[in-house]
Amino acid sequence: MYIYSEVDQRLVEQRVAQFKDQTQRFLNGSLSDDDFRVLRLQNGLYIQRHAPMLRVAIPYGMLVSEQLRTLAYIARRWDKGYGHFSTRQNIQFNWPVLKDVPEILAKLATVQMHAIQTSGNCIRNTTTDHFAGVASDEIVNPLIWCEIIRQWSMLHPEFAFLPRKFKIAVSGAVKDRAAVGVHDIGLQAVRESKGVGFKIWVGGGLGRTPIVGKLINPFVPWSDLLTYLQAILRVYNLHGRRDNKYKARIKILVKDITPEVFTQQVNQQWDLIKNGPDKVTLEQVQEISNRFSWPQYDCSLSDYDSIKNCKENQKFNRWLRTNVHSHKVQGYASVTVSLKVSGVPPGDITADQMDALADMSEKYGFGELRVSHEQNLILADVEKRNLYLLWQELDLLNLATPNIGLITNIISCPGGDYCSLANAVSIPVAAAIQQRFDDLDFVHEIGELDLNLSGCVNACGHHHIGHIGILGVDKAGEEWYQITIGGRQSGANQKNNSNKDFSSGGAAIGRVIGPSFARDQIPQVISVLIKTYIRLRDSDEERFIDVVDRLGIEPFKSDVYSDPTLTQPIKHKEVIGGQ
Amino acid sequence: MVSNHVRLIKNGRLELDIWRLFDATTQSIPPHDSHWIVKFDTWKQNIDEFQLAKYPIAILISSDSDLSNLPNEFLHDDLLLGIEFIAIDFPNYTDGRGYSLAQLLRNQYGWRGELRAMGDVLIDTIHYLARCGFDSFLVKQGHDPKLALKAFEAFTVHYQRSYLKPELASE
Ligand code: SF4
Repeated sequence: MYIYSEVDQRLVEQRVAQFKDQTQRFLNGSLSDDDFRVLRLQNGLYIQRHAPMLRVAIPYGMLVSEQLRTLAYIARRWDKGYGHFSTRQNIQFNWPVLKDVPEILAKLATVQMHAIQTSGNCIRNTTTDHFAGVASDEIVNPLIWCEIIRQWSMLHPEFAFLPRKFKIAVSGAVKDRAAVGVHDIGLQAVRESKGVGFKIWVGGGLGRTPIVGKLINPFVPWSDLLTYLQAILRVYNLHGRRDNKYKARIKILVKDITPEVFTQQVNQQWDLIKNGPDKVTLEQVQEISNRFSWPQYDCSLSDYDSIKNCKENQKFNRWLRTNVHSHKVQGYASVTVSLKVSGVPPGDITADQMDALADMSEKYGFGELRVSHEQNLILADVEKRNLYLLWQELDLLNLATPNIGLITNIISCPGGDYCSLANAVSIPVAAAIQQRFDDLDFVHEIGELDLNLSGCVNACGHHHIGHIGILGVDKAGEEWYQITIGGRQSGANQKNNSNKDFSSGGAAIGRVIGPSFARDQIPQVISVLIKTYIRLRDSDEERFIDVVDRLGIEPFKSDVYSDPTLTQPIKHKEVIGGQ
Repeated sequence: MVSNHVRLIKNGRLELDIWRLFDATTQSIPPHDSHWIVKFDTWKQNIDEFQLAKYPIAILISSDSDLSNLPNEFLHDDLLLGIEFIAIDFPNYTDGRGYSLAQLLRNQYGWRGELRAMGDVLIDTIHYLARCGFDSFLVKQGHDPKLALKAFEAFTVHYQRSYLKPELASE
């Protein structure tokens, strides 16, 4: 965990003071609604369906127990006793009152947390691999680089008012778990003979115009990272479209002027600033690295005697298979705490669960946790010999659903129950699917499958990159759902030192299978897709996404649209009872 | 009553602003008297005449100006003499192009003279503006210029090393 310096702390406190002043001016009428709107958004405060929604940053997904307890405190004192983890390593509170928000922020600042730039048209919270620092396939530890970017992007004076929001993701491992291909900027660390650097993808993104990023530079040396980012942002800030919100993301600029011209312009700007004061120095990297409290591993542990006497417990075994992940240090494992139990909105967590997990993280995992973009929590450094004990504790709290990587680990946005932009609800749909797939044996038999769900084209649920994606659409005031298949957040494992042009970072956008469906039909649609997959797979090894890759969407499409219970929706009116 | 008009921050103090914007629809250049602000395009089209002018003028750059095609030395010394200040317009405070334009003027074109922020200039944006190289600010109506003065000190620490640390010149 990164421990704030005096400068870090002061900056966050000064932002709290500034926001308090802005809120007071708004409440006493000296700051207009218009002027306040963007200022509050820049501090994570939305006006939502029920009340303001406050989005708190969890920079690159890292949390310590004390912070989680503070989030629990906030949930109890100012919310309704729970919080919601978003898909971007943030936590959202749906019920605070505007006048309390400065106090909430002050409370957060006491544990080195904030809500700075969690919304608005600015550089958002930088995200990364949820196994950063512990993954066995890691090339470079991205946590240090994320912190360097966090500092550089925080309250950046030139880029506070961009044409649109701006998201950066960093991957430090061979397997991209940060989805670098679908971010405004995606950084993939590489180690070459000339040292460590980054491949730079620009212009990926989901939303209304989903598109995978373009590789604009195959190697930017680490020392040039910030100046290169600055050059990209400057070109975007000056030339990104501001006349149409739907065309304002950097992806549109890159497409309009072509990646080649865009890259040229970036290089022009870069030349001007490359050797300026924002060049990263070795001292800076070391200083930041030294401010992390890295776990002190016990190197005498071995992998062998670790998980004994419990192999015969089938429930535990299942959990071992799906929720426990390999670790770079012998004798350790990373554990995903599933927040995807049937009947609870994906990513929701109660204050009591937060407190309990804070305790468990101290007992089993150096007091640290991670938040994944899949809306789960992770104990990154658990001794293997403690896994059984940990599992028992998690199971008691309903936090041990063995479904990570499986169909019921649904990624979902809050949708129409909370979000004022939604076309349709998402939480009840997720619940219906989880109910349909309540047979754990079958869920395990289906194997790896990402199912992502968004309540509107803003794609907060990342539906485009789900192996199966569900999107809520509005047709004449009715809720409908469009299905895509074949999306993925990253590709097959890519060797870091090959010079191949990974023009997408391995990400792919799912394809729409056809006309949309009514809410009640969704579980059946998913069932048919799964049946088709099981019929067509050549072995258990071949995943759903592999079959879609091999055979295309056609067989799935024809099965779905010839299913007798699903044939009606093509004529919407009939389904909704001729209204 | 007067305080309503005193909303220019310059050299860390409040001043009365007496500059006016020239409307180029009827004449191509302003009459020969002082304190005219002319738009960047008007200035570019009449550079020679402005060089002969008796009084210095100020130039207003709109947020959608493209400075990228100008030669690096476009602000050469002879021209500089006749320019009192360069202003960048913020049609809306959420239009952040002015920040990058300021950086280009300061760093690429080497403008060392006064750089003024005009338009939708808020108490809440002054700090960023100052960091990007602006050193005078016409605070918008409805925002208390005295609070704007205090906003220079909203943050006393910063991360980005290539940007200025705002200071009140009077200190
Ligand atoms: S995808 Fe749409 S409905 Fe869902 S949270 Fe985002 S904006 Fe709201």
